[in-house]
Amino acid sequence: MSPPREPAALSGRQPRAVRNALAVLEEVIAIGPGATAKEISRALGLPSATTYRLLNLLVAEEYLVRLPGLGGFALGRRAARLCVPVAPPLPTAARAVLDHLREVIRWGVHLADLTTGRIVLTDPDPDHPPSEEALLARHPHASALGKLLLAEEAGDGEFAAHLPEPHRFTRHTITDPAGLTAELKEVAAAQLARQCGELRPDRGCLAVPVRHPATGALVAGLALAGPPARVAQPNGELIAVLREHADRLAPLLA
Amino acid sequence: MRPGERRGPPVEERPRPPRAGGYVALAEAATREPHRLRSRSPVHGLDRRRLDPLQVLAQSVSGAAPTAAMAATPAIVASQAGPATLWSFAVATVVALLVGSCVGRFTRRMAAAGSLYSLTAKGLGPTAAFTSGCALLVGYGALTMAALSGSADYLGILLARGGIGTGRSAPVFIAVLLVLAAAATALMVLGIRLAARVMLLTEAASITLMLVIFGTLLARHGPPDGLPGLGPARPDLGATAAGVLPALAAFIGFEAAAALGVEARRPFRTVPRAVQWTAGASGLLLLLAAYAQQLGLDDVPGGLAGQREPVGALATAQRLPWLSVLLEGGIALSFFAAALASATALVRVVFSMGREGIAPRALGAAHPRHRTPHLAIAVALPLMAAVPVALRLAGVDAGRALPVLLKTAAFGYLVAYLLICLAAPVFLHRIGELTLGPVVVTAICAPVLMVVLGAFVTTQSGWALWAIGAVPAAGALWFGWLRLRRPRELAAVGIYDETSAADLLHGPAAPEDRG
Repeated sequence: MSPPREPAALSGRQPRAVRNALAVLEEVIAIGPGATAKEISRALGLPSATTYRLLNLLVAEEYLVRLPGLGGFALGRRAARLCVPVAPPLPTAARAVLDHLREVIRWGVHLADLTTGRIVLTDPDPDHPPSEEALLARHPHASALGKLLLAEEAGDGEFAAHLPEPHRFTRHTITDPAGLTAELKEVAAAQLARQCGELRPDRGCLAVPVRHPATGALVAGLALAGPPARVAQPNGELIAVLREHADRLAPLLA
Repeated sequence: MRPGERRGPPVEERPRPPRAGGYVALAEAATREPHRLRSRSPVHGLDRRRLDPLQVLAQSVSGAAPTAAMAATPAIVASQAGPATLWSFAVATVVALLVGSCVGRFTRRMAAAGSLYSLTAKGLGPTAAFTSGCALLVGYGALTMAALSGSADYLGILLARGGIGTGRSAPVFIAVLLVLAAAATALMVLGIRLAARVMLLTEAASITLMLVIFGTLLARHGPPDGLPGLGPARPDLGATAAGVLPALAAFIGFEAAAALGVEARRPFRTVPRAVQWTAGASGLLLLLAAYAQQLGLDDVPGGLAGQREPVGALATAQRLPWLSVLLEGGIALSFFAAALASATALVRVVFSMGREGIAPRALGAAHPRHRTPHLAIAVALPLMAAVPVALRLAGVDAGRALPVLLKTAAFGYLVAYLLICLAAPVFLHRIGELTLGPVVVTAICAPVLMVVLGAFVTTQSGWALWAIGAVPAAGALWFGWLRLRRPRELAAVGIYDETSAADLLHGPAAPEDRG
C-alpha cells in the first residue's frame, strides 16, 4: 500500500496525465459501476489508447476494479481513502456492551472503527475523553489502537515504510523501524496492543482487536486508557474482561 | 443461492450474505448472468496478495533458469547458427519480449493462478484453453523433472569432488534427487512466501556466480584482437533463423510469474513487469554468455560449436580449474530454483483445473493454514520425482534424459506461447479495449512461433517425438471425456481472482477465511 518511492518532479505531459486520471475516476462515478472503457473514452473525448492505459493504472493501484467479465469498471475499496471516513452509527446493543464495560472498569473505554485502514472513534468515553481523533489517525505508531491497525497491515512482514518519519512525542515513543517491527510482531502474536506514555506522558492504553466472527477480518479496536504505570502491569484479569467484551461486540459490529 | 443464479461450475461458495446496500448493490445490478458478482473469489484459499515484487520476479527468473541456460545453450545455438549465434540470441530476445507483452495484456487486467491456461481461456475459449492447459502441464512438468535431474546430477558431481560417492552413480543420483524433491515439496506446501524467498536467494546466488565466472573469463581473455571476430558483424539470415529455435528454448519459463497473479501484491503491476524484465534480463545474460564463450573458444579447435561443456573447456583453456567448481555449484542452484518455479506454476495450473472441475475437484483444495494448493502438490511432486528416478533405474543417465525432457518441455511451452499470442487481440476485442499495437505484435509473433514450432516438431526423432506425439493423444481422450461428462465445467474454464463484493467501495469486510 505504499506510494511509489521518490516521485520525480512533474514534467512534460505528466500534469495532463494526472488531470486525465482524475477525470477518468470522476467519469466512472458518473456513469456508475459497469462503465466500459469505450464509454469513458467517448465521454471524456480522450484517445482510446490513453484511456485504456489510465484505466489499467487505476486498476493496478486498486482505486478501480474490473467487474466480472472484465469489460466493466467500478470503484475499488481503496477509493474510500479519497474521502474522510465517518464513524458508522453504533447499534444500541453494542452501546449496551460498552456501557457495561464502563460500569465494571473505572478506566476510559474507547471503541474505534478500523475497517477503513484509519482510526475512526465510534464511541469515545465521554467521562475520560481520548486524544484528538486527528492526532491518533495521523500517528498510529504512538497509540494502542494505531498499533492494532499497523500490525494488521504489516502482517508478518516489515514495519510498513509508509510512515516516513514516525514522530517522537515522549521519550517512550518507539520511532526506530526495527523497534516498531518488533513491537508490531508482538502485537500481532498476542492480539493485544499496549502503549505506556508514548503519546502523552500521563496516559497509557491497552487495546484488543474486534474481529469479524466469520472471516476474522479486523473490524474495530476496543481500548482502555489509564495511567501508564498501571497499563505497564500484566493486568491479566483486566485483559480477560476486555477480551470478553470485544467478543461480545464482534457479532454486533460485523 | 437463488436458483439459476449462475451457470458456471459449482465452485464452492458460501451462501450469499444478505444483500449489501449502496454501491455494492449498484455494482451487482450492473453484472449479468455468466459473470455475476460473487461474494468471494473463485480461487479463494490461496495466500492472496502477499508476495512483494521481488519475490514475483524471482519466480519468473527461476523459471527461465538463465544460469543453466548460460552454460549450456550458446554451444547448442552455435552448432546451428555458427557465426550468427549472437544474432540468433538477439532475435530470440525480441520474440520473448513480444510474447511477454501478449501475456502482459492479460496480466494487467486479470489475476489468475492458472498461468497461460486461465489467460488463454479469456481470449480463445475452452478448447484452446484446454490445449494450452495440456501443453503447460507437459511444459511445466517436463521442466520440473529436467531441473530436478539436472540439479541432482550436478550436486552428485560436486559431492564426488568432495570425496563422497563416485560422481554420476545411480544410488547417489537417486538419493540426491529424492532429497531435492522432498525439500521442494516441503517448501511449496509450507507457504508461497517461503518458497519464493528460497527461489530468490538461490537464483541470486547462482546468477552472481555466473557473472563472476564470465567476468573472470572475459577479463582474462582481454579485449578481442580485432572486432571481425564477433558475430554481429556478419548477420546471415538463414543461419540466424536456424539458431532462433534453440535460443528461444533458453527463455522458456520466463512467464512463470503469471501463475502468481492471485498471490502477488498489486498483481496488475508486478506480474507483467516480472515477465518482461525476466525476458529482457535473460536476453542480456545469454548474450553476455554467448559472447564470452565465442570469444574465449575462438582459438580452441572446433570453436564454441564443437564443445559439449563449453564453460568447462573455457576454464581448462584459461587454466582456471576452480571455475568449474563454481560453475557446477551455480548450475545446481539454478536447476533447483527452476524446479521450484516450474513446480509452483504446475501445481497452480492443476489447482485451477481442480477448482473448475476439469481435473478431480480435490486437487482444487487449499491448505487452511499455509494457504497453498497442498493436494495438487502432494499429487504432482511425487510424479515429478518418480519419472527421473525410473529413467535412471532403466539405465538412462541424466546426460541422456535431460535433452529429451527439455525438448518435451520446450514443445509444451511453444504451443502455450503461440496460443497466448493469438488470444491477446481476441481478448482485448472481447472486452472492448483493442488497439493497433497488440494486433501488430501478434502479427509478428505468431508466424515466428509457428515456424519455430514447425521446425521443432519436424527435427525431432526418437524419444522426444514419442513424448510429443503421446501428449495430444492423451489430451484428446481427456477432452472427449470432458465434452461428454462435464460440458458445463468445460465451458466455464478460465477461473481467476474475480472482483468480489469485498473488493468494491464500501464492500463487506473481506472474507479471508482465516484458521
